[in-house]
Amino acid sequence: MESKDRKILFNEVAAPGCFRLGLEWRSAEVTPGQFVMVRVSDGLDPLLRRPFGVYGVHGGRGKNPLKGNVVELLYKVVGKGTRILSARERNESVNVLGPLGNGFPEAGKDEKVIMVGGGMGIVPFLMLAKKLGDGLLLYGARGKSEAALAKDFKGTACRVKVSTVDGSVGAKGLVTELLEREITKDSVVYACGPVGMLKAATKVAAAAGVRCHVSLERSMACGIGVCLGCAVRAKTHGERENRNYMMVCSEGPVFDSEDIDWELL
Amino acid sequence: MGTTVEKNTGERLPVEIAGIRFQNPVMTASGTFGYGSEFAPYTDLNRLGAVVVKGLSLKPRQGNPGPRIVETPCGMLNAIGLQNVGVEAFIKEKLPYLRKYSTRVIANIFGETMEDYSEVARMLDGVEGVAALEVNISCPNVKKGGIVFGTDPFEAAKVVMAVKKSTRLPVITKLSPNVTDIKVMVRAVEDAGSDAVSIINTLTGMVVDVEKRRPALATVTGGLSGPAIRPVAVRMVWEARKVARTPIIGVGGIMEAKDALEFIIAGATAVQVGTASFIDPNAAVKVAEGIAEYVERHGTTVSKLVGSLEV
Ligand SMILES: Cc1cc2nc3c(=O)[nH]c(=O)nc-3n(C[C@H](O)[C@H](O)[C@H](O)COP(=O)(O)OP(=O)(O)OC[C@H]3O[C@@H](n4cnc5c(N)ncnc54)[C@H](O)[C@@H]3O)c2cc1C
Ligand SMILES: Cc1cc2nc3c(=O)[nH]c(=O)nc-3n(C[C@H](O)[C@H](O)[C@H](O)COP(=O)(O)O)c2cc1C
Ligand code: FES
Repeated sequence: MESKDRKILFNEVAAPGCFRLGLEWRSAEVTPGQFVMVRVSDGLDPLLRRPFGVYGVHGGRGKNPLKGNVVELLYKVVGKGTRILSARERNESVNVLGPLGNGFPEAGKDEKVIMVGGGMGIVPFLMLAKKLGDGLLLYGARGKSEAALAKDFKGTACRVKVSTVDGSVGAKGLVTELLEREITKDSVVYACGPVGMLKAATKVAAAAGVRCHVSLERSMACGIGVCLGCAVRAKTHGERENRNYMMVCSEGPVFDSEDIDWELL
Repeated sequence: MGTTVEKNTGERLPVEIAGIRFQNPVMTASGTFGYGSEFAPYTDLNRLGAVVVKGLSLKPRQGNPGPRIVETPCGMLNAIGLQNVGVEAFIKEKLPYLRKYSTRVIANIFGETMEDYSEVARMLDGVEGVAALEVNISCPNVKKGGIVFGTDPFEAAKVVMAVKKSTRLPVITKLSPNVTDIKVMVRAVEDAGSDAVSIINTLTGMVVDVEKRRPALATVTGGLSGPAIRPVAVRMVWEARKVARTPIIGVGGIMEAKDALEFIIAGATAVQVGTASFIDPNAAVKVAEGIAEYVERHGTTVSKLVGSLEV
C-alpha cells in the first residue's frame, strides 16, 4: 500500500480502444482481484484518480505469478481520464496508489473454479488463472477484437471458452448461458463484469447451490475507505446497524454475492 | 524588533485558536480523512496541525443510498449522508489510536435536533485526547421541516449555545456557504459563544445525467468540494474577516501550499485540506511543508501573515 510515481514501461494497444499499461514497480506483490488508483495526469481535471484492476505482475525472480517488478494494467478508453491515460508515453510517470482491496478468496480444496468475465471484467482473471494453474474461464467478449484478449491465457493451464452476443467468435449468446452449461455442484464461481452479468451469474450459481464471488465497480474518490463514496447495500439488513453499507474499495471489490442487495445495485 | 526571535521554522509555524496551540496551521477537513488511522500508511500524522475526524452523531448513521459521488470539473459532488460510527464507538474504538500521536484531534459533530447536538457535545466533554469540537451546522433540522440549521442565523446561534452549555471544550462552528451573507452568520455564532469559525462547508450542487435524464446522485443534490470552490471560499473568508472577532479556519479546494496561503493572507488563522487527501493521501503534510518553506523564504511567521492582504 503506497502512493508513488511509477515509470511507464509500455502503454500499447491491446485491442481497438483497449490498452496495456506496464508500470515499473519494485517488488510488487498483488492478490488477483486487487486494483490500483491511477492519477492519469497532474492537472486538476479530471481531479480524481481512476481505479483499474491489476492484469499481471511480471519480471520477478522465479515463477511466482503474484510477485515481480512490472505491474500490468489493461484498460478500455471510455471517457476523459482513460483517454488522457492512453496518450501517456513510455518513460513518463504516473502516480499510482495501491494495490488496494481484498482480491478473490482462495477456492476450497474440492471446488472447481469457473471464472466469468464480461468485457474488461476479464482483467482480474489472468493472474488468478496463473495462480490456480487450472480452472475454466468463460469470457463474454464484445466482439472479435475484444475476444482476441483470450489469447493472453494461452500460457496458462486454464481452459477458455468465449462467447459473443453476435456469435462472431465462440458461442453465440450471453456468457452466463455458457455458465449454465458448465456449472456443476463442485463449482465455485468468480465473476467480474457489468452488473447485469453479475446478477445473472449470481442466479445461476444459486440455482446450482454453489458459492459465487463477484467483483463490483463503483465510482471512487479515495480508494481507501475514507470518503464513503463507493457504498453498496449489504443484504444483511439491520444485523449490525452500521453494516448496511459496504465500501467497494476497502471491503471489496470482491464480495460473496449472497452479501449484496442486488435489488438496490 | 531587530532581534531574531523566530530563527527556525518551528517557531514560524505555530498558531493559536481558542487558547489551543497548533504546531502548524494545517488541519485535515472533516469527512475527508476518516478517523486518521486510515492515512497512517501514507502520511505522518505527527506533522499535521490537527486531525479533524469524520462528523459524529449521537447514534451510528448508515448514510445515503448510492451513487453517492460524482466528479465535476475540478471538483466532486458528494451525498454521503453523514455515515459515521457514532460518538460512542468513536470514543471507544477510534480515539485510542489517535492518542498515540502528538497531533491535536478535533471532533466534528452534528445532529438532527438541538438535543442531539447537546448530547454529542456532552459525551465528548472531558474525553482525553479531544482538543476541541467543530460543530457542523450544515444539517437539516428534522424538527423544523428539514431547514438547514446553518442557513438561519437564529437556529445556528441556538445550536452553538446548546453545544457551549454542554461542554468546556473550545467550540469551532463550521459555517455553510449556502447563505446570502456569511457575515451575518459569523456574528450570530460568535454572539452565541462560538470560539472560532471554519469557512466553508460544501456548496450545494447538482449534476444531471442527460442520457438517462436523471440526477447523477441518488439524493439529487449534493455538496460540491475541491479546487472548483476555492475562489468562493477565499472570498467568504475575506468577507468574514471584516466582522469576525474570533479566528477563522479556511477550507475549500486547497490542493497545495499556495492555495492555503491565499486563505491565510485573506484572513484565516489556519486551514483545512479536504478533497485533496483523496487524490494524494500526503497532501496535507505537503501543504504544511510548503507553508514552512514560504514563511522561511519571506522571513515571516504564519501569525503575521494572517489577514495581511493589501487591497
Ligand atoms: C475496482 C475497479 C476496477 C476497475 N478495473 C478496470 C480495469 O481493469 N480496466 C478498465 O478498463 N476499467 C476498469 N474499471 C473502470 C474504470 O475505472 C473506468 O472505466 C474509468 O474510471 C473511467 O474513467 P474516464 O475518465 O475515462 O471516464 P469518465 O469520463 O469518468 O466516464 C465515462 C463513462 O465511464 C463510466 N464510468 C466512470 N467510472 C466508472 C467506473 N468506476 N466503473 C464503471 N464505469 C465507469 C461513466 O459512467 C461514463 O459513462 C474499474 C473500476 C473499478 C471501480
Ligand atoms: C466526501 C466528503 C465528506 C464530508 N463530510 C463532512 C462531514 O462529515 N462534516 C463536515 O463538517 N464536513 C464534511 N465535508 C466537508 C469538508 O470538510 C470540507 O468543508 C469541504 O469538502 C470543502 O473542502 P475541500 O474542497 O478541501 O474538500 C465532507 C466533504 C467531502 C468531500
Ligand atoms: S472510494 Fe472512498 S470509500 Fe471507497
